[in-house]
Amino acid sequence: MPDPVPLPGSLGIVVPSRGLGALLHHSLLALRMAMRPLDGEVETRVVVVDNASPVPYRLAALAADEVVRLDRHASFAAACNRGAAAADADATLVLNNDVLLDPRALTSLLAHLAAPRVGIVGARLVFPDGTIQHRGVALGPDGPFHPDRGVPSDSVRRSTRTVQAVTGAAMLVRREVLADLGGFDEAYPFGLEDVDLCLHARRRGWVVVCDQAVDSLHFESMTPGRADLDAASRELFRHRWHSACSPDPEEWQ
Amino acid sequence: MIYYLLPGAGIFGGIKVAYQFVDALNQLGAPAVIAAPGAEAAQWFGSRAAVVDREEVLGSWCPEDIAVFSLPQDYEVLRPIADRLVFHCQGTDPLIDPILLDRSVPVLTCWGQARDYAAAAGRASHDVGIAVSPVFYYAGEPKEPGSVAYLSRRGADVADRVVSGIDGARARALDGLSEAGLAAALGHASIFLATARGEWFGLPALEAMAAGCVVLSLPVVGGMEYLDHGANAFVGEEDDLHRHLLSLHGEAEALPGQRMRLRAMATAHGYSMARHRQRLARSLPEWLDA
Repeated sequence: MPDPVPLPGSLGIVVPSRGLGALLHHSLLALRMAMRPLDGEVETRVVVVDNASPVPYRLAALAADEVVRLDRHASFAAACNRGAAAADADATLVLNNDVLLDPRALTSLLAHLAAPRVGIVGARLVFPDGTIQHRGVALGPDGPFHPDRGVPSDSVRRSTRTVQAVTGAAMLVRREVLADLGGFDEAYPFGLEDVDLCLHARRRGWVVVCDQAVDSLHFESMTPGRADLDAASRELFRHRWHSACSPDPEEWQ
Repeated sequence: MIYYLLPGAGIFGGIKVAYQFVDALNQLGAPAVIAAPGAEAAQWFGSRAAVVDREEVLGSWCPEDIAVFSLPQDYEVLRPIADRLVFHCQGTDPLIDPILLDRSVPVLTCWGQARDYAAAAGRASHDVGIAVSPVFYYAGEPKEPGSVAYLSRRGADVADRVVSGIDGARARALDGLSEAGLAAALGHASIFLATARGEWFGLPALEAMAAGCVVLSLPVVGGMEYLDHGANAFVGEEDDLHRHLLSLHGEAEALPGQRMRLRAMATAHGYSMARHRQRLARSLPEWLDA
């Protein structure tokens, strides 16, 4: 096995967000809590990408280091790319504004980057009722899906999984992966740009894992008009990846 | 990067074994992908192997890349392009003899007969093994008494003759099924007929053993390492298989049949994914870093 590599010297946390100021506020508070164990170990920078919020965010009111304002609404992929460029870090965590990280989540995610071929790390996410929202993305006959979605987290095993993809709701990506692939594909209107990134990364030999150690909270799907944007992304994904990936093994589905 | 070059994604055992191999390499920390025409990935079984376009890969080959191949014809295509070739031997047709003569190409063997063939040509090989997909292992579902399954795309005529004249034998041709569908069908079947001539290893028979079937098989070149006639399976020519099926029919649920079924499952567990990875892990430093 390859020798472990040092943890990233710098971590950029990119939070694309549109409106939902109160939710963003609490998400950032949880993020700050999760960042505390990194004090003195990893240089951090929190970048909020204001994706054309009707009322622009004010940096002074946020627990962030920078606000990148987009005056025209951009795709999630584009917002992530702008944020990653601004953060300019050895590793970038893309974080949804409706994810409340467990205080141990960041250290748990970063630990996986000690394996040199791990390029992307996902987080285990639960709904407010404690059921699984995400523990990795699998590919089935009908496309990507979340195994064990809706199953109580306590009854789902926690062994770390190498997976085909993880959700961009909380996704840690090495600088080299973003550079290698040119970032997220901005052709995706909303959704599946995260899976697309993972699948491209795997084609280049990077490993994608999903941390299972801790549960972070994900409210999911609070973005207005998501269903319409989803359909266009799904069609693009199907066009690109139909027959280009094998379905996940039965035991994973 | 390790590229496993394949000719396509069709329903051939060698394709699945290649994907298994790539999955195992990745699990062992050796980055590997499948290179197939049009980056078309196999859809008939589960795998996490990434697939890239074969022609693009060949057109942009890097000296440090490793080309793994199992189709003998690919040797002539790859030799002028790739410095590092690795032959994953999935059959001992004389077509592989020129490959065995090239001592710069490590030879990986999946079963004992292939190892012996390479040795006879003066080549030591690396035993990397072969595996049964976890989906096939018997989960205790009820067996349908008298049910006889076989793969219709190979040896259907032989299967028909073996089954003919046995009253009440419910023969079922398993055709066009995904791996999961095949596993479900085998889990429910009592008996499996392995009637394809020219099989090298006969993975379907081993999969049927894993699924708790009593297996009746034509002789298989490489399969004789796991087929133990009278103990975990019946092996013989058509007439023998017919005779054994007649004796088994209605009795496969009786004690002798159950014993054979248990021995078959025990044999198949020796070909688990975990064992496959262990064997591959032991050989990796010898050929990957060579």
